[in-house]
Amino acid sequence: MAATWVMARRSLTANWLRLLASVGGVALALSLVLALDAIVAGVSSQLTSYIDRAGADVWVAQAGVRNLHMVASWLPASDTADVAGVKGVVAVTPILYVTDAISANDQRAIAYVIGLPGDATMGLPWEIAEGKAIPGPGEAVVGRDFARQAGVGIGGRVTILGRDLRIVGLSEGTGNLLNGIAFISANDFEAARGSAGLVSFVLVRTAPGTSPDAVASAIERTVPGVSALSRGAFAAEERRLVMQMAGDVIATMNGVGFVVGLAVVALTVYVATLARRREYGVLKALGARARFLYAVVLAQAVLSVLLGFATAVVFTSAVAAVVHAVGLPLALVIDVSSLLKVAAFGAVIAAIASILPIRQVAGIDPAVVFRRGAVL
Amino acid sequence: MTTCTLEARDVTKRYGDGEAAVVAVRGVSLRVEPGEIVLIMGPSGSGKTTLLSMLGALLRPTAGTVSLDGTVLSELSEGRLPDIRLHRFGFIFQDFNLLSALTVWENVAIVAELAGLRGRAARERATAILTELGLGARLDFLPDRLSGGEKQRVAIARALVNDPALILADEPTANLDSAIGHEIMRLLRGIAKEQGRSVVIVSHDQRIRDIADRVLWLEDGAFQDEIALAVDPVCGMSVERERAASATRDGALFYFCSRGCRAEFLNGPPSA
Repeated sequence: MAATWVMARRSLTANWLRLLASVGGVALALSLVLALDAIVAGVSSQLTSYIDRAGADVWVAQAGVRNLHMVASWLPASDTADVAGVKGVVAVTPILYVTDAISANDQRAIAYVIGLPGDATMGLPWEIAEGKAIPGPGEAVVGRDFARQAGVGIGGRVTILGRDLRIVGLSEGTGNLLNGIAFISANDFEAARGSAGLVSFVLVRTAPGTSPDAVASAIERTVPGVSALSRGAFAAEERRLVMQMAGDVIATMNGVGFVVGLAVVALTVYVATLARRREYGVLKALGARARFLYAVVLAQAVLSVLLGFATAVVFTSAVAAVVHAVGLPLALVIDVSSLLKVAAFGAVIAAIASILPIRQVAGIDPAVVFRRGAVL
Repeated sequence: MTTCTLEARDVTKRYGDGEAAVVAVRGVSLRVEPGEIVLIMGPSGSGKTTLLSMLGALLRPTAGTVSLDGTVLSELSEGRLPDIRLHRFGFIFQDFNLLSALTVWENVAIVAELAGLRGRAARERATAILTELGLGARLDFLPDRLSGGEKQRVAIARALVNDPALILADEPTANLDSAIGHEIMRLLRGIAKEQGRSVVIVSHDQRIRDIADRVLWLEDGAFQDEIALAVDPVCGMSVERERAASATRDGALFYFCSRGCRAEFLNGPPSA
């Protein structure tokens, strides 16, 4: 066993350029897959950040609505009181919601527009960098990143739902790759959209010790025409939607990464094996069994993939750190399931990449080592 | 090490079929006794290497048998031959055939490991043999940092590491200068006479005659009667005295491979 690994390691490191190409190629291919997974995981995490941090234990929406992104949900405002009366509910906040473009100066961006009542205890921006959290009539709270890009600050003007509003607060962490969040007063929202007497969602805080899922079920039983989900279930639906939207892209990029990785490792191991055919012949002549030589070939592929995998993880982590440091509205999250998937990719790549060289090794005639100058 | 007798009986090796068939070795019989050094000589293309390959169980004869202490190697399945080669034979090649990516000790130890010895034990055995052969200071060198003589000594150590009863050497002195060639010959003689191993050498090198117990002349794939040989003083080739061009100078008779060499010799400066 030790001899197998020594042979494999030395065969690989005998040519540093080839090793570099192999490890670099594998690392690049696996990084493709890993980085895309990390982006999707990051976006998914960012997309649910409002759900996760709005302070609600249960989200109540129009019947059939089970997530936030790209949906329209309208409930009679009277449902708020009905929800508040359900056992286990200790607080409610009705919010209005629509996805729309906001603009300041020449800067435009897509944002979740949230209409908040003046007494809102949930659904507020969870971190305020400057100014206040709850906008009054004619006021707005926007993301700090958007304000910076638009060149506006507190007291500046922003157009939301066609209304010219004054910025009174800058929120932190509410922007992501797809959209930001802008908060306005419920009155302005109703005036702009003509939605008086309606709310989009009712955010619910449950009593300590009660199960949000049980309360959600109780709400659905008690209040007709609504869907109620615990925060966890609501966020999971949101993530599922993201995965559905990005699924094809992820599958394509995974496929590309797999094929590139496979091609690089297969070519490298094949070339390394060809370059050492005479030595494999010598080993056969000396008494090495074919399975030993196969193991050497496989070990070379495994080593290439292991080094490539480690490099890919380090590289992707470094990219994630740089993205974070630069302050891009993008988060790369490398999770365990992604690492396992990429590791499995690597294992399959190593196994397949070994097949072709093994055929070469099997065909080596040990007697040829006596023929001087013979090209094997 | 257990001594053993290698025997080839009516061995023939034919390549190809029909009119294109080439018979490299035809009906050769040979018996090598324990501790014996057999030198097989002959012109290029005479079948020496093919015969050596068959003796070493690297090539199956088309007809005839090769046996080791009564076990017919040429009838064994392919799966059993690696063990025979590992434990019963030691191979020495003209080109040394060391594994370029492995150090000196690893080149030897890997063969011991293939034979079943564990890592540390394999290393210790390799180190002991290499040290005995004067390579104690070169253990961690890669082959490309060694001289030709050192490489061949590593190859000899590799051939001996599994304590085989038979050593098969293909032109072991061909790539070495005179002094190193003599050193290798001395080693091979010691392997046979002090350690009791049989040694079969295929070579053009006349000097090896000095250590051989028997010299066989292979020509056109078959053993010929031992013939009187001489060395062409111009090109160094072995030539048959009976058929060669000859010339006398200063009372001595010289033999040549061709008229060209003879003319060059006669037109050259007188010998000292």
